[in-house]
Amino acid sequence: MDRQCSRSMLRYLVVCLLSLSVAMPRAIAADHPLKGQKIDMAILGIGGWLPSRLGVDMSPMFAKYAKEKYGYDVSFTFAEAPFSALFQKAASTLATRSQEYNIIISDSQWLGALAEPKWIVKISDLLKQNPEFNIEWYDKVIRDSYQIYPDGSNDLWGLPEEGDTVALFVRKDLFQDPNEKSAFKAKYGMELPQTFEDWEKISFAEMEKIAEFFTRPDKGLYGTVLQYSKEYDFMSMYLYPFQWSLGGQIWDPKDGRIYGILNSPENAEGMVWNKRYLKYQPPGAINYGIAENIDAFTQDKVATAFQWAAVGLAMINDKNRDKVMVVPPPGVRQKDGTIKRLYCIGGQPWVINAYNDKAHMTVAIDFLKWWYLPDTQLEFAKRGGNPAVKSVLEAKGFDSIHPWYRAYKYMLSRSRDFWHEAKYSEMLAAQQEAFTAYATGQVADPKVALEWAACEQQKILFEAGRTKIKPPASCANAQLK
Amino acid sequence: MQRDWRRSVYHVVLWVVAVIFFLPILWIVLAAFKTKDDLLAVPVKWAFRPTLANFVDLVHRHDFFSSLWNSFLISASAVVVALVVAFLAAYCFSRFKPRSTDFLMFLLLSIRMVPAAASVVPVFLMYTALGWKDTFWGVMLFYAMFSIPFSVWILKGFIDGISQRFDETGLVNGGSRLHVMFRVVLPQVRPGLIAAFIFNLIFVWNEFLFNFIIGGKKTTMIPVSLVTGSLAQGGVDWTFVATLASVYLVPPVIAIYFFQKYLLVGMTFGTVRGEV
Amino acid sequence: MTAETGSPREAWRQDGMSFRQRVRAGRMRWIDDSRHFPGMLLVPVLVFFVVWNLVPLFWMLGMSFFNYSIITGSPPRYIGFGNYLDILGNFSVWQALSKTFVFVLGAVGIETVLGVVLGFLFWGSSTMPGRRLALTLLFAPMILTPAATGTFFRLIYEPTFGVANHLVQRFFGTSINFLGDRSWAWFSVLAVDVWMWTPFMILISLAALGSVPKAELEAAEVDGLPWTRRIRHVILPHAKFILMLGVLLRTIDSFKVMDLIYQLTRGGPGNTTEVVGITLFRKAFEGFTMGWSGALAVIALLIAIAFTSIYLYILNLSRAGKEAA
Repeated sequence: MDRQCSRSMLRYLVVCLLSLSVAMPRAIAADHPLKGQKIDMAILGIGGWLPSRLGVDMSPMFAKYAKEKYGYDVSFTFAEAPFSALFQKAASTLATRSQEYNIIISDSQWLGALAEPKWIVKISDLLKQNPEFNIEWYDKVIRDSYQIYPDGSNDLWGLPEEGDTVALFVRKDLFQDPNEKSAFKAKYGMELPQTFEDWEKISFAEMEKIAEFFTRPDKGLYGTVLQYSKEYDFMSMYLYPFQWSLGGQIWDPKDGRIYGILNSPENAEGMVWNKRYLKYQPPGAINYGIAENIDAFTQDKVATAFQWAAVGLAMINDKNRDKVMVVPPPGVRQKDGTIKRLYCIGGQPWVINAYNDKAHMTVAIDFLKWWYLPDTQLEFAKRGGNPAVKSVLEAKGFDSIHPWYRAYKYMLSRSRDFWHEAKYSEMLAAQQEAFTAYATGQVADPKVALEWAACEQQKILFEAGRTKIKPPASCANAQLK
Repeated sequence: MQRDWRRSVYHVVLWVVAVIFFLPILWIVLAAFKTKDDLLAVPVKWAFRPTLANFVDLVHRHDFFSSLWNSFLISASAVVVALVVAFLAAYCFSRFKPRSTDFLMFLLLSIRMVPAAASVVPVFLMYTALGWKDTFWGVMLFYAMFSIPFSVWILKGFIDGISQRFDETGLVNGGSRLHVMFRVVLPQVRPGLIAAFIFNLIFVWNEFLFNFIIGGKKTTMIPVSLVTGSLAQGGVDWTFVATLASVYLVPPVIAIYFFQKYLLVGMTFGTVRGEV
Repeated sequence: MTAETGSPREAWRQDGMSFRQRVRAGRMRWIDDSRHFPGMLLVPVLVFFVVWNLVPLFWMLGMSFFNYSIITGSPPRYIGFGNYLDILGNFSVWQALSKTFVFVLGAVGIETVLGVVLGFLFWGSSTMPGRRLALTLLFAPMILTPAATGTFFRLIYEPTFGVANHLVQRFFGTSINFLGDRSWAWFSVLAVDVWMWTPFMILISLAALGSVPKAELEAAEVDGLPWTRRIRHVILPHAKFILMLGVLLRTIDSFKVMDLIYQLTRGGPGNTTEVVGITLFRKAFEGFTMGWSGALAVIALLIAIAFTSIYLYILNLSRAGKEAA
């Protein structure tokens, strides 16, 4: 080519490149389908539950982010219902294919009930378009509990809003008091646990001694407090640790067998132990749920409390901040001397309403992508939430943000969820009845209670067509008395 | 002299009874002025430093005024609609005595017998299909239906007690039937109207389940607000519940205080026209 | 009204009524003269009844023949009377029913007795200072929002934080777990219901006693009749009707009781206080098994209707008897 030609070609090329570089960002911004629009989103959350509240309180930050990054306005409205009524509200609205709530903060057990009728979006379908959702979680249990349904498959239906485990909140001022220490040593021949590491080695049997030591009704102090209320899942959540740590199971997810698995000797033993703990708790503990447990601890009525990490901010207030430490709860000592802990996982996943129209669906996805950005997760942690993302939890200085984080992380790998079954609600109600019947003394033999619960649950699953296994003939005579 | 003394003792006894029944409510009202720790303190703290902080928090809640307004509007409209419909029906039953009167009256009573938990879901499905969920008219008319049976029973009793002569006179004097109904008979059943109004109002005022399920953001009344707001941080927000319950108590109590005479007469279902 | 000659319209025109007034009068006339006037009066109430009552009821009835759980996503499966048979053969349902009966008898019984006694007490108090205020205070338990009632009585009954146990400890030296102890749970729940609804029965009693004609009362006093005879022959015949109506209303309501017990004990401890209303609620709202819960609701409704019919029959007989006398 002659010089004239090549120079003009070069100029042409430069102009092209320049105009492209100016046009492209605009093209990319213009690519977002919702630019310039205003979308109203509704979130259904759990009333009076701090982590759920946080998800909602932080949404204005997303509005800012969406405006800057994507160019659309979004406003959020919230609806709340307490735990025991939330599923009813969610199910009623989703059953009618309503768009009333675009995003729902669900409890982890409900995943099956919401996924089975396809009321919520299957996250695994979104993964290809939105690789941001391929997040590395702190522990495999996160995926199993907050995402997977049915158990054992690879289908993901939710994304963890927050993780939650049971921790032991301890009044360290009582434990570190020299008089208490010497009295305890004199009486039981062992040391009162002082540090996190000490508590890691405590078994249920040793915990019983500690609880007994601190049970002083005349002074208005009790050793510990759990939850035994028939409401929602409170009783089950605090009984499972005893049963599971002893090696009990609740069902076989592959074929839906419950009878024979739930009513096992290990589970019966767990119930006996769990009931025995009542002796060291305030007299009303038989009716305690989360709220009463918090009150007992913050009103200085108990020396220790088994409680969810999610309500850490409620358990630790200005009055008792210097007196509280949070440690792993006890387990069962195995033959080789190690402690086996298997507790129930709490926490809630975000689920997306499958009936959202395109605009709301897009916003929901954008919102969730923003939720898992490191900055957002850090802010969430600072405000008292429990993130589940591995990189966040392992970041430097994370443990010191809140006193319960160390115990939370420790217990995450030692927790499990129970069934993710569509009929979970009915099954839960049946076992709540059975478990509380034994704990209150209505039924004298734990095996009878377990038998009844197993029969009921097998019947529920069988009649709903979820399993081919029928309850055995002996179930016709099973009675809760 | 002795009679006065005995009478005074008698009055004191009555007051004691009234106060005994009121005691738990007094405790709740007092709790609204306490801090949470004072509230939970055992033994009961009768002497405490009162605070208005709870009330301040209450009015700052984003849904307080809207729920309160909804409560007033929905309860009042529902009961008024019910009264109109019930009056028409009661007049018919009383004056025209159609053969199916007893059957229909019984049928209306049977509405009360259906357990709420069972009928909520079909009503919910129906409302969603019709698009009435969370609409003022949908919720209000539902509550109107709630209030009709009781109103019909009371009003019929009262209309029965008004001589048919009034009707005949009115008609002879050139009035239309509607005129007779609303200008002649209605004013005379005022105690029944007021009793039915107050009773049903209180019932709708305190209703929770249907408001929770078929209501929504636009039609939430206070009881639902109370329940959803009663949990804070996983624990019960005692001061909130106490404060809201106390505030919510005031309008019906005022109504009962000022309209007591009518209430007492009204509950006689028409067998008494004067003072009780 | 009607002129001797010509139609009413003629008369009106002669009376000088405007066109509009004549149209309106004509419409009124049409309404008045219509044979269907009584029917028209009933139309609104029937519309309400059909739309808001019959439709849900028929849906419930229809669903009760299916096995349908909303949340499993599978379509309803026709099973005929399967739900009914399951319910009738279900031990826990019978337990719940018997608990409900016990509750109704206990609650209505105590409330009626207390209500009548207290109503009697308040009856002669027209000169009492501040009577209106006292009665308002007395009626307050009925007015408090049930959600708050349940929440606060839970607190009152709570062994560690509650007043009730504190007083028991003070005066009796022991501790009672009102809602958690099986032997106490029933009484505790019953006590709250009695507290809430005795004022209603007092109101009914006052009205019932007030319906006794003053003339007869004065006559009885002048005659120097002893109180027992006064009650039997003068008061009771008149007061009976309203009183029984009040008892009927209370019976119907306490048969359905759910909110209160649910809040206080959730049917616990175990299932000590599980009445039919709670079983129904759990099956309908936690299990979303519309078929089964629909069948239970139908059964409960039939029981309520049966009792009410018998009751009203007796009431009508007594009323007819009174009128005949």
